[in-house]
Amino acid sequence: MSTPAPLSASENTRFDPTAIRRPDPALMHYYIIIALCTVFGFPFVLIAMYIRYRTLEYKIDDKGVSMKVGILFRREVYLTYRRIQDIHVTKNIIHRWLGLSAVAIQTASSSSSAEMTIEGIRNPEALRDFLYSKMRGARDEHDVAADGSSNAGASHPNDEALVLLREIRDELARQRLGGGRPT
Amino acid sequence: MSAIVHRASEWMYRGLWRVLGDLFLVPHDPPTLPVRPGEAIDSFQPGEGFLRYLKFWFWFLLVFFDLIFAAAYAGIAATLCTKGLWWVSAILLPPTLFIIVVPDIFAYIAIHLRYDTTWYVMTDRSLRIRRGIWAIHEVTITYENIQNIRVRSGPVQRYFGIADVMVETAGGGGAHAGKGGQNTTGHQGVIEGVGNAIEIRDRIMAHLKQSQTAGLGDDRDHVAAATSWTPAHMEALRAIRDEIRKTKLAIDG
Repeated sequence: MSTPAPLSASENTRFDPTAIRRPDPALMHYYIIIALCTVFGFPFVLIAMYIRYRTLEYKIDDKGVSMKVGILFRREVYLTYRRIQDIHVTKNIIHRWLGLSAVAIQTASSSSSAEMTIEGIRNPEALRDFLYSKMRGARDEHDVAADGSSNAGASHPNDEALVLLREIRDELARQRLGGGRPT
Repeated sequence: MSAIVHRASEWMYRGLWRVLGDLFLVPHDPPTLPVRPGEAIDSFQPGEGFLRYLKFWFWFLLVFFDLIFAAAYAGIAATLCTKGLWWVSAILLPPTLFIIVVPDIFAYIAIHLRYDTTWYVMTDRSLRIRRGIWAIHEVTITYENIQNIRVRSGPVQRYFGIADVMVETAGGGGAHAGKGGQNTTGHQGVIEGVGNAIEIRDRIMAHLKQSQTAGLGDDRDHVAAATSWTPAHMEALRAIRDEIRKTKLAIDG
């Protein structure tokens, strides 16, 4: 049994989310425990769980997350970061003892369960912080209105539109002053 | 005397909590949210009234069920004694006491654990809710995605001066499951049992009103173009207009 990942967000400087392709091997242990709980259904549940574990695949790129699962009945989910509504991180007691967690991502669809549940993650806080930073409303550019009203009047130094406008003004002034005198 | 008992029980609870927390790997620190430097981060727990509210229901149900058990035992014991089987009722006494007392202790501890493991974190951009003993559940919602806010309080909750703030994002399904806010995957976050519900509501509402989108994953690019005219821009545009007027005057004159 391993110690769980620390709950602080300090580690995510070296965290590479694109490296997450497969669930952690400890997820199979979790599935075995879950299968054991269904006393009589154990063999059937175990087979289903094993297939699920073997075929689970994640892909985290610059626009969104995708998840593939299944052999006979394949299921693929793809969702973009911008459309994430809320992020849930669940760790039940077995998860915590195995050092695992499940990160559930919800979009605005009407299903009651999460659209995607990334299971078997060792370091959910880093993944969640990464997803959070990609979410709407988590960053600066998304809060244009809020920032614009709070620091009204102060101009951004690298505001291209403003720089252009000032250049046009100066150009016009030079035209008038420089071009007016000779003629 | 009662102060000593109170402090002793407090220590006992702290020790028990420490052992249980280590055994069940419960995080001891409150949750955090990534913030930019200088941004306010505010983490808090349910109000004191929430604990009293939970304990009120605890005592209410305890008296209710234990009276039923005690009455049932008294009835059985009385009928047994009239038949001369008083020793059977004596044997039944310890299990009855066990049934009456032990669940109450567990429920009482569970109430305290529930209160101690509930955390709310708010920043200027988002909120995070942690809840749960058996399964620890954390929800993160940005204000941009919030569709509506509800404040809910019943008569008993009002007596204890607390209310629930419910924050809902787009989407349906499980939003109405779990009356006590125990649902885990609904499109909502429940800030349960807080004393300053209206203040929290207003704080979130202030952010919502500033938002330019419908909270449904709208792309911000065109919105940004429309809203990025600051007073500095307007000043520059006015200067250009004046320049053109002066230029025209210079040419005409």
